[in-house]
Amino acid sequence: MQNRSRLNLALRGTAAAVLLAGLGTWVATGAHRGWTQTSAVTMQKDEITGIDYPVRRDAFVAGVEIPLAAAGLAAVLAGVSLISRRRSAAGLTPAPQN
Amino acid sequence: MNTTTLRSSLRLAFAFSAAAAAAVAAPLSFDFKDPKGVNNVQFKLDAPLESITGTATGISGKISFDPAKPGATTGTIVLDAKSLTVGNPMMGDHLRSDQWLDVAKHPTITFEAVSLANVRTQGTATTAEVTGKLTVKGITKEVKVPVSLTYLADKLGARVNDPKVKGDLLVLRANFEINRSDFGIKPGQMTDKVSEAIQLSLSIAGAAPRA
Repeated sequence: MQNRSRLNLALRGTAAAVLLAGLGTWVATGAHRGWTQTSAVTMQKDEITGIDYPVRRDAFVAGVEIPLAAAGLAAVLAGVSLISRRRSAAGLTPAPQN
Repeated sequence: MNTTTLRSSLRLAFAFSAAAAAAVAAPLSFDFKDPKGVNNVQFKLDAPLESITGTATGISGKISFDPAKPGATTGTIVLDAKSLTVGNPMMGDHLRSDQWLDVAKHPTITFEAVSLANVRTQGTATTAEVTGKLTVKGITKEVKVPVSLTYLADKLGARVNDPKVKGDLLVLRANFEINRSDFGIKPGQMTDKVSEAIQLSLSIAGAAPRA
């Protein structure tokens, strides 16, 4: 019984960690409201021709799918934990005596 | 100096003058292969979550431009379709796949300028509407594109940081829109996810070196 309780606690802890990691990554990389980008563009100007041109550099910018996926995974983990808790609670309840 | 010698000298002088005049009047051939990687095409497609924007720098081609007759400009610009890049790599793979641009089968996008209309020149700048043939994914359509041309005489040396290099530059800018359906890119499909219209912005410079 104690093992099951520890498992539930671990599942809930993992769910919270996944959710925080997903949200944290998204916020830390600029809270971009589009899809994930692995490169970013900055514009520069060529002095002679006056042409504005893009310079692409490697950069990880988390998109909305990162916190959404994290939230989904956290929900699954939390759900499993709840089901497990209910099952253990059901196992503890003594059967009605007639 | 006798008469014969004078005539010969005059003929020679005339020949040199004519050759020089022809050299000045002849249209210049500008090569748009840019070692500096400045030449670029930017594209944008509207989409619900976020507009799909990307860039391409694999540009080459030649344009014949006469500073005295900008309206006679002709030439071809070629874009290496593999150089199309977007920020999301999965999106980039889709873009280059056979479902979209099929760059393995159609590695280039070309624009051939056929004629210019509404030509207006002020100083070194010319604006015009170019009628040309745009080929995307193997399908060629006639399009009309508003362009601006800026002729920069003797600026090639400054651009390559070598004053010994003599030549001119031609800067070409164009902003226009095409429909992906016209070029067989998922015609009538996924219009709720990606717009039909593709906005294109072209900024390129060509060089005409002089010996």
